[in-house]
Amino acid sequence: MRPTASQLKTAAAEIRKDLLTLCAKETIHIGGDLSITDVMTVLWQYQMNYDPKDIKSESRDRFVLSKGHASAVTSFNQAAVGCFDKEDIMREYAADGGRFSMHSCNLVNPYVEASTGSLGHGFPIACGMAAGLRLKGNNTSRVYVVMGDGEQSEGSVWEAAMNAVHYRLGNLVAIVDFNGLEADGTIDEVTSLGDIAGKYHAFGWNTVEINGNDIEEIINAFDALPPADSDIPTVIVCHTTKGKGVSFMENQVRWHAGRLTPEQRDQAIAEIEAALAEEGEN
Amino acid sequence: MDTSKKYFLRDVIGGYMKTVGEKEPLSVMVNADLMGTCRNRTFAETFPERTFNVGIAEQNMISFAAGLAHEGFIPYTFSMAPFMSMRACEQVRTDVAYENLSVRLVAPYAGLSGGISGATHWSIEDCGIMTSFPNMTVLEPCDPVQAERMMDFTITHKGPVYLRVSVEPVYSIYPDDYTFEPGKACVIREGTDGAFLCSGITVKYALEAAEILEKEHGLSVSVTDMATVKPIDREAVISAARTGAVIAAQDHNIYGGLGQAAGNVIAESGIGTRFRTVGISDTFVSMAHAEYLYHRFGYDTEGLVRNMLELKGRA
Repeated sequence: MRPTASQLKTAAAEIRKDLLTLCAKETIHIGGDLSITDVMTVLWQYQMNYDPKDIKSESRDRFVLSKGHASAVTSFNQAAVGCFDKEDIMREYAADGGRFSMHSCNLVNPYVEASTGSLGHGFPIACGMAAGLRLKGNNTSRVYVVMGDGEQSEGSVWEAAMNAVHYRLGNLVAIVDFNGLEADGTIDEVTSLGDIAGKYHAFGWNTVEINGNDIEEIINAFDALPPADSDIPTVIVCHTTKGKGVSFMENQVRWHAGRLTPEQRDQAIAEIEAALAEEGEN
Repeated sequence: MDTSKKYFLRDVIGGYMKTVGEKEPLSVMVNADLMGTCRNRTFAETFPERTFNVGIAEQNMISFAAGLAHEGFIPYTFSMAPFMSMRACEQVRTDVAYENLSVRLVAPYAGLSGGISGATHWSIEDCGIMTSFPNMTVLEPCDPVQAERMMDFTITHKGPVYLRVSVEPVYSIYPDDYTFEPGKACVIREGTDGAFLCSGITVKYALEAAEILEKEHGLSVSVTDMATVKPIDREAVISAARTGAVIAAQDHNIYGGLGQAAGNVIAESGIGTRFRTVGISDTFVSMAHAEYLYHRFGYDTEGLVRNMLELKGRA
């Protein structure tokens, strides 16, 4: 049984609480983790065909985290679907010899399809995977790749955007976390991206724009994806809020990455719980 | 060495790709708009569904190939050595070497063989770059049979391989039944008074130089083909060092190439020997034909004779 929207909202709140708990122990890229939490929760806990007990299954969907610094939100979602225990993450994140860190590494974590961290790499790798699936005659699996908005400045992103269309990779789903902030400031302060969806549209992509912090909209976008054996790749441009759900983090450049005091953590978690409770009453 | 016929290794390797395709159904080719330059058309015509041309986008070529390798394919990527090693440098290191993926990087235009194309198309740094990546095997063929056996090696080897290929002509050195042993150098001429360590295009010059040194100067100089640049054959280097006069010659900057690797082995071995690295003397120069440049930097036949005589105190 696939989870309902209501269950996914609860699941997303749990992920946020896990992130905030970890963020009081270690520095993580909390802003971009929180902005993409809702999308990652729906992707991992609702959308993707992925069996943690059979991780090399040919029929699985593939996931590549091109914005590699969102490793924590990925790991907590992988824990939620049974890859490992979330306490493993709490214990091993940034621990010497541990499986979890600021950027995911498949030398120690086999649930990572491709090790990432340097921006603009995961997207073209995902294109190669999608082409490989086609070449093998696998017309049912999809490749999902999550990118940042600041990452769109990398030239290799647009090299890949051209190729995905040229090779008719309708089994490829690119997700852009358009939270409007990057490490040095707002996107518009650093280097304006303008109309991201329009750019992909001009490259020949099927483009979808949603509120990436709205569980129902995310579910609808995934439900409406063209079939995996179609010819046109899809990009879902997700308008999100960096630091989503925590009042003192939202839209704050300084919370691109950071560490919380225990008091900040408790306040932040209380806000997440209050918002979920309010959601439940509505 | 049979100098009656010239061979061009990019033609040999490009043509042999069809055989690779026939031997290994999982082999695929990824190119970046240099299929003609890299002689890939035969493979592309024979296996169109296994051929990808990503356009002039070397970074994408490598990441895309990494994605194919993740799905179990053995991608053969082709580009000129400077673009393979520098434009796509981080993709090779992070997407391929870090993951120990079986991606093959076939790179014509090694060293100064790009000649009149000029410094943009020369690759005088690629050995330094590629040998510094963990998991990377670096090969440099000097002969057509060797080039084909190296390509056979790439079919079965687990992990990435960089093949640096001169576009200058070479001669036949090895017999048809030559077997390529990765990590093993080949002593192709014995000698006791000195030794040339070389790879790729310098092998033919070293053989000619050794011949002249014997006939005109009475010196018995060995020639060792260091076809596997990495991992380096330490025993072969130490054996050369026992002659007491070693010249390492490669079409590469003197920094980061065969000379530094061989010198390191010699120093670690504790053997005392005279030693000289011959290559591009850490400089950019204006475009010229490769042979002119090899002469200028002293690693054509005449230059290697002169360098060995100097090293022996006979100049």
